[in-house]
Amino acid sequence: MSVLRADGVTVKFGGLVAVQDVHFTVKQGEIYAVIGPNGAGKTTLFNAVTGIYAPTEGHVEFNGREIVEPLTGLVLFKFACAFFAVGILTLVGLNVETIWTAVIIDNYKFDQPFPWSVAATSWYSTIWSLPLVKNLLPLLIGGGIGVGAAAVSWSRGRRAPDHIARSGVARTFQNIRLFNELSLIQNVLVGMDYRMKTGFMSALFRLPRFYRERREFHESAKKLLDFVGLGDRAEQAAGSLPYGFRRRLEIARALGGKPTIILLDEPAAGMNPSEVVGLMALIRRVRDAGTTVVLIEHHMRLVMGVSDRILVLQYGKQIAEGIPEEIRVNPKIIEAYLGSEDHG
Amino acid sequence: MRWRPGPIFIILALAALLPLLDVVLPPKMQLCEAVRGVFLYAILALGLNVVTGYAGLLNLGIAAFMAVGAYSFGILTCEIYPFQLGFWPALALTIPIGAFAGFILGAPTLGLRGDYLAIVTLGFGEIVQDVLKNLDVVTKGTQGINPLPAPTFGGSEWTAEDEYKWYYLFFALLVLTVIAVRNLERSRLGRAWFSIREDEIASRSMGIRVERTKLIAFATAAAIAAFAGGLSASVLSSTGEPSNYDFQISILALCIVIVGGIGSIAGVLVGALVMVGLNSIVLVKATAWMAANGIGSQGNVLLSPNNWKFLIFGLALILAVRLKPNGLIPPRIERAQQ
Repeated sequence: MSVLRADGVTVKFGGLVAVQDVHFTVKQGEIYAVIGPNGAGKTTLFNAVTGIYAPTEGHVEFNGREIVEPLTGLVLFKFACAFFAVGILTLVGLNVETIWTAVIIDNYKFDQPFPWSVAATSWYSTIWSLPLVKNLLPLLIGGGIGVGAAAVSWSRGRRAPDHIARSGVARTFQNIRLFNELSLIQNVLVGMDYRMKTGFMSALFRLPRFYRERREFHESAKKLLDFVGLGDRAEQAAGSLPYGFRRRLEIARALGGKPTIILLDEPAAGMNPSEVVGLMALIRRVRDAGTTVVLIEHHMRLVMGVSDRILVLQYGKQIAEGIPEEIRVNPKIIEAYLGSEDHG
Repeated sequence: MRWRPGPIFIILALAALLPLLDVVLPPKMQLCEAVRGVFLYAILALGLNVVTGYAGLLNLGIAAFMAVGAYSFGILTCEIYPFQLGFWPALALTIPIGAFAGFILGAPTLGLRGDYLAIVTLGFGEIVQDVLKNLDVVTKGTQGINPLPAPTFGGSEWTAEDEYKWYYLFFALLVLTVIAVRNLERSRLGRAWFSIREDEIASRSMGIRVERTKLIAFATAAAIAAFAGGLSASVLSSTGEPSNYDFQISILALCIVIVGGIGSIAGVLVGALVMVGLNSIVLVKATAWMAANGIGSQGNVLLSPNNWKFLIFGLALILAVRLKPNGLIPPRIERAQQ
């Protein structure tokens, strides 16, 4: 079964074609590698998959469907709210003096009880006795702006990284993007955030369910840190970690959301050979725990050692796809990418 | 785990004991009244700290929300309007009103990055003043709304003479604000704020809804600032004129946060003491002392310490950034840890 499928994905930056017509399918439970020389468009492809860039053409499917936020009744309700909120604000803002005078000042006599029922009806008649340019027009124009803005921000956010991440696609970054001032466990907890249920009020008033959830997630964050081998450093600041460990922490953070698929962007970059061996074992364990792995890597021993299948990109185009044994002997790839044998 | 008093606790405990000093010191010092101002600005700066310190969004218009709070408090309580609520319900209502104002400003602008957002908030600060000034019918223009009620506890309304009652009211509300902000800081929400401040793209890729989280920070800060505004209106028994809530207030709040330590509650409390203490205690007392002893001729503005405050603010900021870039009490790393 395919978890991730790219169908003719093309990403252009102005005239530059970074990724051109890439097709691939990643199956449930496999380790899939994307390789290629620097500038081949691997990271751009990842960014297109995770929603940081929108593909210029083509689309990406997870579990057989494209991840876009559906146009539900709730979204339409939000649009309606935006219409009335902005419309009424415009209307009231334009006529605030008239309305205030008619409702409050004309009705309020000092030392007499305020006639609430009269005031409650007079605002309505006041507004509609105004000329149309002062009531209906501002309501419609303001409401139109409100709906327009809401629709634009909704359609922009439909394929946004947060939505894709919430659908079970986690990633790490080539140029490690940890939250350096937070501790290791905090970093993992950020990755778990969208699985948490408690909101503003339970945090503010420290309701019992706040404590319950915190205990629960702290425990599983601790377990994840143990899983990647950083359990004894949970309280340390992420910024103080040695380089090789940071990559592991990024993997733990990405796993926090219990993703179905994890995209690793050059996880072995800057690691020494023994760290690479440990990383290979970790990647296998991630896969064995049920998460499909897609990785970008330059480190050939790692790629050939762990991947089930490999996709090769060059100048944004895919030039080959296959199992490691095929890729290893494919003369086109040796020529285009590896250049000479000693890279392997 | 053994409990040991953190810096916040120590600062607040010292503040609670401060009125004892008044008994010892010569009666003309009126220390409590001055320290009330410190508390008020501490509340305001704690609000600003949520948006600027935690979420990393520079807000240069926090005073506007203070004005919103003060005027809502005025309109809700003053006898020239029909609402005429008491002190407590009106003060409580400033919180949702402030949050709503923050939401209105935040919703369309939070897509802006860094400096652009700062400029928008700066503009908002100016606009609010102008609106309050020109909306005579509602806000009484430059006169301000007065008189406003003081709190009642057990029947009688407090007067300006009830110095210690006011002091402890401000103190209690400051403590409440500290608790509220601390609870938010050490929660899922606080963590999401830090993650956005640290790296927006990464936190978005981890599934954090960045816009929503920023908006909550913005509205929370506005609510706290409005609360501070309502409180200050009550103690002055007037909203004062709209220009009381100008850019200077926003900058003072920002200085407090920066000098004290961005993102650190204890830092904000110390920052408020340093900045406001300098402004309304040291300089005022020094001026009075010099006048009493015949130093500082009348008319020579340079010889009056009251006029040195911007010099000192500027100096404090430069020194803070140069010597203590993380503030007097920097935030701890393991924030949400227990």
